[in-house]
Amino acid sequence: MAHRRCLLSLARHATAIISQKKMPPLSAVEVLTRKPNPAITIPNSELSWFSFWSHSRHFSSSKSEDSETEVEVEMEEASDVEAENDNAASDLGRDYSPEEKEAEAVAIGYKIGSHQFKVSNGDSIFTERLKFCEVNDKLILNKVLLLGSPTQTIIGRPILPDAAVHAVVEEHALDAKVIIFKKKRRKNYRRTKGHRQELTKLRITDIQGIEKQEIKTDGKPLKAAVKNPEKIAAAV
Amino acid sequence: MIMISANGCSMIDQRMAFMESELPTFKEKNPQLEVVNELIHGQHPHLKGFYKNKNERVVCVKNMTPEDILLYATRLRNALGRKVVKLTTRHVTKHPSVQGTWTTDVKF
Repeated sequence: MAHRRCLLSLARHATAIISQKKMPPLSAVEVLTRKPNPAITIPNSELSWFSFWSHSRHFSSSKSEDSETEVEVEMEEASDVEAENDNAASDLGRDYSPEEKEAEAVAIGYKIGSHQFKVSNGDSIFTERLKFCEVNDKLILNKVLLLGSPTQTIIGRPILPDAAVHAVVEEHALDAKVIIFKKKRRKNYRRTKGHRQELTKLRITDIQGIEKQEIKTDGKPLKAAVKNPEKIAAAV
Repeated sequence: MIMISANGCSMIDQRMAFMESELPTFKEKNPQLEVVNELIHGQHPHLKGFYKNKNERVVCVKNMTPEDILLYATRLRNALGRKVVKLTTRHVTKHPSVQGTWTTDVKF
């Protein structure tokens, strides 16, 4: 029974992997050895890879939040540490970084302040107020869940150890005012409260941990190159 | 986001307290800002921030302690001059898809 189930799941996963887009079967996907939860019981060594694949697909499709409590604890520790360090060129913000995807510009998804983002190079992110950084500070975000490029995807379990995201703090600002109005009718109860959330705007500058393929768009140089051989051919 | 702060002061005690203690430190910490003190009669004390996108933000600091004034000044300094609007998206991107957006025609 169990053997039959194993074989069935193996076959299913094999077909799924073969039909994956733009990915050579084994070499591109670097499955790292760190196992996320002890709850996932893996009987076979082959099954480990395949079962992980299904989990990774779950990661890449949804932007779910992982282990919020851990993140909050780490955030507090990081903030305490950062208060002591100097805010010189770069700060190590140990914020949770989720999916990363790299493009010609690098694309990442990272999790910060218990939210996950999928960003690329040059994106802006609005997050919760980061206390330990001033404006124009560089942050290195370590916790990256997924790295991707047009030809390669690297999936972390749950994070990638060697991946890093560089971001620059653009501004610390307040959000627009939200009026919280409470009323109970016929009970003479009415309350009005105003709330402005403090936000930080981060701009992503660099993503490390994956090969970048800078595909230059078809601009003038390409057209010029195309024209020249045509001219030469015509002349000849 | 270079900004210029101008104080219009009509409350004497508050002005003296802030200008003596907080303003010099604020000036030193932000050499890129041009901080100007102006005495404007008939107006409550306020902080004016001029932003690079020709935006002005005014904060009234009437009857506020120097610490609060410093807080507002740092807030003005931290912010860009954009209009305060409710956020539609938390993520502004120019490259929404790396491997290509899925359509019904895409085949793996």
